[in-house]
Amino acid sequence: MTPTPTPRRWWPAAALLLSTVVCFALGGVLDHGTLDLGVTLLCYLAIAQAWNILAGFGGLVSLGSAAFVATGGYAAALLLVHTGLSWPLAVAAAPVVAMLLALLLSAALLRLRGDYFSVGTLAIAIALQALIRNWDWAGGASGVTLPVDAVPSGGNLFQLAVIVAALAMALTLHARHSAFGIRLAAIRDNEPAAAGLGVAVRRHQLAALLPSSAITGLAGAVIAFQFVVISPDGVASVSWSLNAVLMTVVGGTGTVLGPLLGVAVVYYGLTRELQSEQTLSLVIEGVLLIAIVRFAPQGVWPLLCRTARRLLGPRPGTGRPVTGRGDEDETVPSGTETLAMDVA
Amino acid sequence: MSLDVLAAGILAGGLYALIGLGISLVFGVLGLMNLAHGELVIGGAYLASLLVVDAGWDPLAALPLAMAGMALIAYPLQRYLLTPLLRGSKSAPLVATFGLSLLAQALFQAAFGTHPKALPASYADTGLSVLGVRVQTVYVIAFGLTVVLCAGTHLILTRTRAGSALRAASADPDTAAVLGIDVDRVYAMTFAGAAALAAAGGVLTGVAQSFTPSSGLPLLLTGFAVMALAGIGSVGGVLAAGVALGVLQSVSVSLFGGGWRDVVVYLAFFLVLAVRPQGLFRKAYAG
Repeated sequence: MTPTPTPRRWWPAAALLLSTVVCFALGGVLDHGTLDLGVTLLCYLAIAQAWNILAGFGGLVSLGSAAFVATGGYAAALLLVHTGLSWPLAVAAAPVVAMLLALLLSAALLRLRGDYFSVGTLAIAIALQALIRNWDWAGGASGVTLPVDAVPSGGNLFQLAVIVAALAMALTLHARHSAFGIRLAAIRDNEPAAAGLGVAVRRHQLAALLPSSAITGLAGAVIAFQFVVISPDGVASVSWSLNAVLMTVVGGTGTVLGPLLGVAVVYYGLTRELQSEQTLSLVIEGVLLIAIVRFAPQGVWPLLCRTARRLLGPRPGTGRPVTGRGDEDETVPSGTETLAMDVA
Repeated sequence: MSLDVLAAGILAGGLYALIGLGISLVFGVLGLMNLAHGELVIGGAYLASLLVVDAGWDPLAALPLAMAGMALIAYPLQRYLLTPLLRGSKSAPLVATFGLSLLAQALFQAAFGTHPKALPASYADTGLSVLGVRVQTVYVIAFGLTVVLCAGTHLILTRTRAGSALRAASADPDTAAVLGIDVDRVYAMTFAGAAALAAAGGVLTGVAQSFTPSSGLPLLLTGFAVMALAGIGSVGGVLAAGVALGVLQSVSVSLFGGGWRDVVVYLAFFLVLAVRPQGLFRKAYAG
């Protein structure tokens, strides 16, 4: 099976735009509890999708999502508390600070190969949590409390979360369908080959790392507004990294819609159902993660696509092989081969 | 800078080396970053606590049993879960050990609760005076035991048939398999050995300080820091790296205060990774 370059189509973008507008409008209609739930899900989606861009498309398996959630959250919170800026400015600052951190760390991080990158990012997440705990200006271990009347809540916060999640989805679509995405996947699949074909490896990885960090930082700011009280054990907890990995891996790493499914499955199936059973929830999350990488390493979404296609059978009249790369978002094209064909 | 601080750092470094040795062994031979290593350490401490707290044993008497217990748990994990994953996609084993780490934390919580535990021993809080330098007895014992275990590991790797098989599997698993070495078994034995070393570190950590189900993560990162400093494949390098890290931590705590002990380790770890990803003492096990 030779993968062909996926042409940019108009309908995924249109669907994204439509659902964004609909969700945005829902912000004025839904009741308070649903909005709060929506904000949580959308933030998880943004963080999972940001991880997906980095790990699924770029092959950089990060365990450092928590560091950028914390950076964004604390940047927005500290600006609000210490300078009295209005919240839109504080939100705008969050991705900038997160990107600056990513840029600063990238010099070291992007030198690391494979598993070393994962461990390096994990070290950053833990180090940042320890740093914040010792940083009195940021409230130390007890954290900071945001001025309640200065932060958006309810419908406004929901709409903000919709925009953040939509940005994450748009970025994933771009990574999936653009020439940039193909080059990124080429680096993931075979770095020497990609470099040999003329791809600037470091620059492409940076171009994946920076927006991914920015989105995670933005989500961190929204989470800070939702929590109101933020502490090193809340926004800087490694469980953000865990959830990003878990949700994406369950849904389907390197797919556009997989993380969407993963967020729904993990949040509804586990986190919410087992809120009173924290230990049991942790057990199931651990087992689920192991079971998925062991038995369905591609995740649930590609599995569903394949099953659906088998049930529906080949489309009559087209003569196209069933396994051909079509509209379905099954797997990411093998970047190196695609790129090699492009170049040839 | 007083000598006490230096001595405390050197001795604490022994414990770090013991934790780092297992991580380094698994990564060097299997190419597996084991994110559940911290839980192997804490698991050893909890296993020992069954004998020490509930049956009144001395922690040092419980130590061999804890080592054997963790090795028995680790062997099938590697043989039937992680080794098959090593042949699959690149990040699958890492993600699986991340899942194992969570699972183990949850199981510790369910079995032992979340309150801190410690292993009581007569030498837990007493001090020794050596040439006018005050040191904690438990760290002296830990350091001595670490040196013994490091020497033992080194001898097994370099002087036994099993060690030769391990170095062969590490250097080139395919050729080793062709030559009749059961690579799957070697991998599982290596992982079990690393778990036993981790358990020994866990028991000693448990005597020196208290532990909770989530204590594994900082220990894991300390172990990674040791491995990053040492590079892969040199037992002596691991010991030196552990001591260097212990001294660094002890000195920075005396300069900046206790809150910074972990921050310094993580920053050192990150800097070493960034500047010299291959470590300071790199050598192949085969070499």
